[in-house]
Amino acid sequence: MKNSTENAIVMKGIVKEFKVLNRREGLKGSILDLFSRDYRTVTAVDNISVEIPKGQIIGYLGPNGAGKSTTIKMMTGVLEPTRGEILVNGCVPYKNRTKNAENIGVVFGQRSQLWWSLPLIESFRLLKEIYLISEEDYREMLDLFRSLVDIEPLLHKTVRQMSLGQRTLSDILAAFLHNPDIVFLDEPTIGLDVSMKAKIRTLIHALNQEKHTTVILTTHDMGDVDALCRRIVIIDKGKMLYDNDIAHLKGFFGSYRTLKVRMDGDLQAHAEEIRKEVDFSVSADEEWISILVDEEKEKVLDVLGRLQHTHNIRDMQLEEISTEEIIKKIYEEGVE
Amino acid sequence: MHRSIGFYLRIYGKILVQDIKSKMSYRSDFIISTIGMICTNIAGFVSFWILFQNFPSVDGWGYYEMLFLYGFSLVSLTPVQCLFDNNWSLRIYVYSGDFIKYCFRPINLFFYYQSEIFDIKGLGQLAFGIGTLIYAWAKLGLPVTVLMILKMIVFLITASLIMIALQNAAAATCFWIQNSFYVLDLVFRFKDYAKYPITIFSPVFRFIFTFLMPIAFIAYYPSLVILRPDEIPLLSWLSPVIGLVFFYLSYKFWMYGAMKYSGTGS
Repeated sequence: MKNSTENAIVMKGIVKEFKVLNRREGLKGSILDLFSRDYRTVTAVDNISVEIPKGQIIGYLGPNGAGKSTTIKMMTGVLEPTRGEILVNGCVPYKNRTKNAENIGVVFGQRSQLWWSLPLIESFRLLKEIYLISEEDYREMLDLFRSLVDIEPLLHKTVRQMSLGQRTLSDILAAFLHNPDIVFLDEPTIGLDVSMKAKIRTLIHALNQEKHTTVILTTHDMGDVDALCRRIVIIDKGKMLYDNDIAHLKGFFGSYRTLKVRMDGDLQAHAEEIRKEVDFSVSADEEWISILVDEEKEKVLDVLGRLQHTHNIRDMQLEEISTEEIIKKIYEEGVE
Repeated sequence: MHRSIGFYLRIYGKILVQDIKSKMSYRSDFIISTIGMICTNIAGFVSFWILFQNFPSVDGWGYYEMLFLYGFSLVSLTPVQCLFDNNWSLRIYVYSGDFIKYCFRPINLFFYYQSEIFDIKGLGQLAFGIGTLIYAWAKLGLPVTVLMILKMIVFLITASLIMIALQNAAAATCFWIQNSFYVLDLVFRFKDYAKYPITIFSPVFRFIFTFLMPIAFIAYYPSLVILRPDEIPLLSWLSPVIGLVFFYLSYKFWMYGAMKYSGTGS
């Protein structure tokens, strides 16, 4: 058993319920809604218990609407859990919102928290004031940033003028500026190109190593998880599905790749044909036919080669298994 | 770690300096909006002047008294314009879910949100209002004593607080309803009536403008203290208290909405 002071975050049986108004239809309905007491309860987070030791990078995964954001909001003190115990750095976040805010850093997707019209260096100076960072610590941190990424060209740019990648980079640096114990990164690499993704992953890894910051990383991108996390927690529909080493999960799914092909004509019909030809699960959307290939059974290139004989393939992509597919597999086969 | 009023003032000062610097760098935008503000003020004044060419007095209020009221309302509306302009964007942040980004800092949420925008255009209105006030003051032959000036400052602050309170409350309705723009717009249209003596309205509107949507406190009741020292109603003396109470209530209402909001929306 670990002592609780060694844990950055402890959650025990956390439940979060929301009351949602049952909306009625039409104009008359919306007027009635103003006075309605007709609520139903929605459980966004259902009995989650987790202990996160200091200094770890945790991958927090789940499809949209799984309850990831709600959990993060409870950890940051924005939301109060309906039931259960939560301790962040040894104190209850929603009761000590300000104190908790001093010890955490947050990057929420593409919503930049920096001052839009100010040059980055001025945003940093304001944060220095807000978080009461000493001159010495501030300089030391800036030097660390300089040693990790080339920030000089960014410092005198306003956030407004930055590309998405530069903005994300700046936001991540800003979240680490006051040397918090925990940093929450919500989809930090969403919408970025491959080289920027790699840059950001390297940066997060280096900051974690240097400052022993605990990092809670929510993502859809298995690439992020692969590069950064040793442990992952998966939730779906508010429930915890998986909490273990990533190696454990990879042993189970590591041999899976998603092969995506594009061809002319009705994709659904093509998908139907392919289903008969291969022994894997096949799905189609408007653009791509996706085949989840288990490489222990057959190599991806062999599958592709076989399909080329029977179909006119115009384009192809190879992807790591997605979070959604992993969750689907866990439901279907369990993790043992 | 303790964050005092001094801390907040220092932060505000820094944001302000940076914001003005960055606004100046968009030079044409700055010049055009300044010209726009000057035109608005001149147009407002011209319509006021034309009105008085036809009606030499309104309900016993002479030209210079009315001018005083006009200048008083311009000055007292400046703080809400300059310092609380971000209230206009609140519903957009709330609707898109971007409001969450303000919730993670270890400082007061209301302060943090409002401090983000300083609307420099309001300063033109301030200069115009002060000019009008001084002119009317001189023409009315009002005494220039320390006490009078002190009273003036106290009542200008009072009036500003009431307008800020009205706007805060109107903006905060967006935490509950979707079309909150109309509420905010309504309040801002009514503020135009602040520059008239309340006695010209029917009893129903007098009641509304005093108690429900207290725009009479933006210029009329406070001005009486300076203009008509012999017939000051109790409401005038009470207005500083009313201003503080209204501001505090609107702040609480705003914060209550903000806390409630963060519970929903992802």
